[in-house]
Amino acid sequence: MTMRRPLAKWLVILGVLHAIVVCAGFFAPYDPIEQDRKNPYLPPMPLHLLDAQGHLHLRPFAYALKLREGTFDQYEQDTSQSVPMKFFRSGAGYRLLGFLPSRIHLFGSEDARICLLGTDAYGRDQFSRLLYGGQISLLAGLLGAGCTLSIGLCVGAAAGYFGGWRDDALMRVAELFLALPWLYLLFALRAFLPLSVSPLKAFFLIVAVIGAVGWARPARLVRGVVLSAKERDFVRAARGFGATDSYLLRRHILPETSSVLLTQAAILIPQYVLAEMTLSFLGLGVPEPAPSWGNLLSNLQQYSVLVSYWWMYLPALAMVPFFLGYLGLASSLQERLEPYKIERRSPGSLA
Amino acid sequence: MQPLLRVEKLVKCYERQNVFGSREKLLALDGVSFAVAQETTLAVVGESGSGKSTLGFCISCLEIPTSGSIWFEGRDIVVLAESERRKLRPQIQLIFQDPSNSLNPRWSVEEILLEPLNLKGKLKREETKQRAVALMTQVGLSSDMFQRSPAQLSGGQRQRLAIARALALEPRVLILDEALSALDCSVQAQIANLLIELQRTLGMTYLFITHDLAMAAHLADEIAVMNRGRVVEQGPAQNILRHPKEEITRHLLAAIPSLDNAERPPLES
Ligand SMILES: Nc1ncnc2c1ncn2[C@@H]1O[C@H](COP(=O)(O)OP(=O)(O)OP(=O)(O)O)[C@@H](O)[C@H]1O
Ligand SMILES: [Mg+2]
Repeated sequence: MTMRRPLAKWLVILGVLHAIVVCAGFFAPYDPIEQDRKNPYLPPMPLHLLDAQGHLHLRPFAYALKLREGTFDQYEQDTSQSVPMKFFRSGAGYRLLGFLPSRIHLFGSEDARICLLGTDAYGRDQFSRLLYGGQISLLAGLLGAGCTLSIGLCVGAAAGYFGGWRDDALMRVAELFLALPWLYLLFALRAFLPLSVSPLKAFFLIVAVIGAVGWARPARLVRGVVLSAKERDFVRAARGFGATDSYLLRRHILPETSSVLLTQAAILIPQYVLAEMTLSFLGLGVPEPAPSWGNLLSNLQQYSVLVSYWWMYLPALAMVPFFLGYLGLASSLQERLEPYKIERRSPGSLA
Repeated sequence: MQPLLRVEKLVKCYERQNVFGSREKLLALDGVSFAVAQETTLAVVGESGSGKSTLGFCISCLEIPTSGSIWFEGRDIVVLAESERRKLRPQIQLIFQDPSNSLNPRWSVEEILLEPLNLKGKLKREETKQRAVALMTQVGLSSDMFQRSPAQLSGGQRQRLAIARALALEPRVLILDEALSALDCSVQAQIANLLIELQRTLGMTYLFITHDLAMAAHLADEIAVMNRGRVVEQGPAQNILRHPKEEITRHLLAAIPSLDNAERPPLES
């Protein structure tokens, strides 16, 4: 039973990460599109417990930032002006989970703003934008993977179960899809579509485009599983009891594909988050001012931002824990979901 | 009397493509003919690889033979349309040789046992459940195994579950592919008696596939001996046992373990 723990561990880790993003309104201190034109490109404000005099404070605080003398965009901490962190503070209104109206934020401050990851060109809080951006990017990844897997499941099951010319035709198309240079086709496809569309439409466009691209690999995997499953004796036995094709597919064959599908989902979701980021980075995704991880990084296209404001890179690191979580989940799913691997005694117990 | 099941010149040829793309043919059945009357038992014996299981698959409509015909109740079931074959299948049940493959490892014993009844429909939930319990007792299993998965049963218990499941539909013809081979003697006897009783009460017809001539002699009215896809010898069970004509039959007879060596038929080399 030592195998079960990693799976649960990954599920818990991913659950916590997603909960933070889903409840972005609560964890983010500010509205993601609220501008503060007087404070563009503020660097991250570190939190302190020890002040300049060496006194310990129980409440974490940040120092306000002031322009370094003789510069116009270099900030330094103003140790005379501390900004204490206030927890469960009322601030900008938001809707939790999209419908529960609330004003309570995990933290905030009284006078100056605390921008943990700095601000962007419009003085918007990067930390808040990062959390809200995760909602769009992860949802795009999840829905895109859902699309891909549904198409892959249908195509793969049809090809594997019915075989013959249908199998040949579907698999040739799948091979074509695998061989195409996808990134460039995505650009072309997106370029044909109207450039300025509403954020919601743009979002679903991306999901559809990303989701329609990757079905070939899962389809081939599903086909392989279906092909071997339909020859198994228990499927034949059920056919012997007078089962129809749809019954056999539903009750015996498709359940066999679940481990492939789950594993593929865990691999595809981070890939698709990355695809959304690529599209948005190039300005083909969800339009500004809505935040998405790709939008946050698109500032880096400008050379001046690239060299002067290192903290604009930080959003790129945000997805690292998500990716690690999903990849860990994928490999432990692969291990776990082998129903025919009957539990063996571990080799250690023989010794 | 008109036989219930008649097999005529049945041929099953498996084709395999080798690496060069040319096809290799393998004749699993090479012109098999026999007939079985209703309420009788025909034992099909033969060495491993002689085509016994293939014969079972063809008769139970799970494989389509390459040529030949299978007459069941006056119809040639080989040429039937798929929808007709589907309606016919419940009447000719096959108990698979390997029960660890013929029971879905994801399902519970109860789901497995109820599957044929649910597919047939018509029965109420309560009735189905009662029938399942009755079937379990008939084959000597207790119904507190219902929630287990087949992997948690012993080989013999799995085999009995497979038998119970095939009996659920009360088929006209039951094909038992080595169904008793994995069981110990007392359970074997219990199931054999059950089969004999069902034959009397329901008028079932059995095709008893085995390599064990002793078991065949005990249960069967007739014996057909197969070798390399052909029936080489066929006749009333006692005739075959006492006066085997073919060498292959004598080999199979010699393989019967016997406490009394004197009873062994002489083996000609
Ligand atoms: N699906 C298949 N594809 C190709 N060849 C097959 C297939 N099934 C069976 N055969 C071949 O057909 C021949 C007969 O096989 P079959 O399973 O009927 O033997 P059997 O008499 O049941 O043997 P056993 O007593 O070992 O079960 C064998 O040579 C086998 O290799
Ligand atoms: Mg066999």
